[in-house]
Amino acid sequence: MVRARSTASRLKTFMVYVFLTALVGFVLLPFVQMLLLSFTSTLPRDGIAQWQFSTINFQNIIASPLLSGSIVNSIIYVSLNVIVTLLVAIPAAYAIARYRFTGDKHVFLLLIAFRITPPVVLTLPVFILFAKVGLVNTPVGIALVHCVFNIPIAIWILESFISAVPRELDETAFLDGYSLPRFFVRQLLPLIAPGVGVAAFFCFMFSWVEVVFARILTVTGGKPITMAINTLYGFRTDIGLVMAMTLVSLIPGLAVIYFVRNHIAKGFIVRT
Amino acid sequence: MAGSGHSKIASNSAWWLLLPALAVLAFVGVLPLMTIFNYSFFDIFTLENRYWVGTEWYREILSSERFLHSLGRSLLFSAIVLSIQIPLGIYIALLLPREGHVKTAILMVLALPLMVPWNTVPSMWVSFMDDQSGFGGQAVSLLGVDFDYKFNAVHTWILLVAMDTWHWIGLVVILCYSSLSTISPAYYQAAAIDGASRLQVFRYVELPKMSGVLMMAVLLRFMDSLMIYTEAFRVNAGGPNHATSFLSLDLGEEIAAFDYGPAAARSIIYFVIILTVAWAFKTIMNIRQGESRRVGA
Repeated sequence: MVRARSTASRLKTFMVYVFLTALVGFVLLPFVQMLLLSFTSTLPRDGIAQWQFSTINFQNIIASPLLSGSIVNSIIYVSLNVIVTLLVAIPAAYAIARYRFTGDKHVFLLLIAFRITPPVVLTLPVFILFAKVGLVNTPVGIALVHCVFNIPIAIWILESFISAVPRELDETAFLDGYSLPRFFVRQLLPLIAPGVGVAAFFCFMFSWVEVVFARILTVTGGKPITMAINTLYGFRTDIGLVMAMTLVSLIPGLAVIYFVRNHIAKGFIVRT
Repeated sequence: MAGSGHSKIASNSAWWLLLPALAVLAFVGVLPLMTIFNYSFFDIFTLENRYWVGTEWYREILSSERFLHSLGRSLLFSAIVLSIQIPLGIYIALLLPREGHVKTAILMVLALPLMVPWNTVPSMWVSFMDDQSGFGGQAVSLLGVDFDYKFNAVHTWILLVAMDTWHWIGLVVILCYSSLSTISPAYYQAAAIDGASRLQVFRYVELPKMSGVLMMAVLLRFMDSLMIYTEAFRVNAGGPNHATSFLSLDLGEEIAAFDYGPAAARSIIYFVIILTVAWAFKTIMNIRQGESRRVGA
C-alpha cells in the first residue's frame, strides 16, 4: 500500500516536471529561432552565402546610426518614464493607502480606466497636443505619454506594499519631527524597496515594448528600438537584422528581470 | 486599491499627495480625450477647416455591420484568450515549487516574452511557424497538418491565440504566484490536519488569497486582448477576408487614412466600452470588499 502510494507520488512529481519542461520549451523555442536567425545572413549579399552563419546583422546595427542610436533613445525614454512614474506614484500610493477622502472611489475608477485605455484610442489627440508643445520626435514625449498606463500600475503595486507597513511607523516618525518628504526618503522607501523594484519592473516592461504611441510620436527623429525595427519592415524585410535588433532589445529586459527576480519569486501580496 | 478603509484616516488634504499623479494623467489622458470628444462631432478636412456634423459619425459607426462584426470578433478573441490563459496561469503557479532555484528560473523564463517589442512578437512567430525553416512550422508539417495562417482563417486564429498565450502567460503566472507565495505554511498544515482534499485547499485557502490579484489579471488580459492591435496587424493585417479584423484595427485604419472625425467618434465609443468595463470591475471589487469585511467582523 505504502509502496504503491510512493510510486504514484513519484510518478506525479515526474509528470509535473515533464509539464514544466514542456512549458519552458514552448516559451524558449521561438527565442532559439530568433537567436539562430540573428546570426544568419537572410538576404543575398556579396561575399556571404544566403542562410549562412554570419555576424553581418550585428555589424549592420553598429554601422547604422538609426539602429544604434535607437538603443540610446529607448534607454533614455524608459528611464525617464520610470523616474517620473515613481516620483508621482509614491505620494499618490501613500495617500490611497493611508487616507480616506472625498472622491477616493472615483480616483480608483479613473486609474483603472486609464490603465486599460488602449494607446490607439489616444494616438490622434496626443499627437496633435504634443506637436503643439514641441514634444514630438523626442524621447521625452514618449516617456510622458507612457505614464498614462504606468502611473495606475505603479500606484496599484506600491499601495499594497505601503499598506503592509504598520501605521505606527508613520506616527512615530511624525512625533519625532520628521517632515513628510523626509519620512518618505529616510523611513518608508527603505522598507518598501522591493515594492519600488517590482513597480519599476512593471513600468519598464509596459514601456520598453510599446509601439503605438512610440510610432505616432517619432515621425522623423528620436526613434526608439521598436520604431527602428519598424523601419526595417518592407518589401524585402531583412528578417535576420530584425531578429538581431530584437536580441539587442532583450538585453536590458534580461538585466531588469535578473535584478528583480528574487522580489518577484518571493511574492508580493497585492490587495485590491 | 480602494482598501478596506477601517484603519484609514479621513483627510481631504490627501488630495495634495495625489496631485502630481493626477496632473500628469490630466495632461496625457484627460486633455486628449476632451480634444477627441470635440473632434467627433465634426467633419475634418484640415484641423482649421471643419464642419459640424453632430452625431452622424456615431450613428454611422454604431449601425454599421462592420463595427458589430469587429466587436463580436474581439469579444470572441478575449473570451478564448481568458479561458486559456487564466486557468493555465493559475495551474502553472500552483505547480511551481515554493522553494529553490527552479521556480526562480522558470519565472524568469516566463517573464522573457514580456520584454519582446510588440512589433517583433509577430515576426518571431511568423519565422517560428515558417514551414521551411521554422521549428514550429516543421513540427506541424511532421504531424501532417497543412498549416496555412495566411489564407486559412481558423489557422490565423490559432496562431494569434498561441502567440498571445506565449506572450502573456508569464504575467498571469507572476501575479498568481506572487499572492500564492504569501500564504503561510500554517494554513496548509491546518488544511492537512482537517483532511482537506487538494480541491478543497484550492477552493478555500488558495483561491481567496489569489482573488484580488486574479481580478487584476483578468482585467488586464481582457482589455489588452479586446484591443489587440500590433500583433494581430503584423500577422495577417486583419485577414484572411477580415476574419481577424478586430476593433483596434478598424480604428488604426481610419487614423492612417486621416479620417479624423470618424476616428475620433470611434475612439469615444471605445472609451465608453472601457469605462463600462472599469466601472463593472470597481463594482465587483466593492461587493467583494463588503463580503470580506462582513466575514472579518
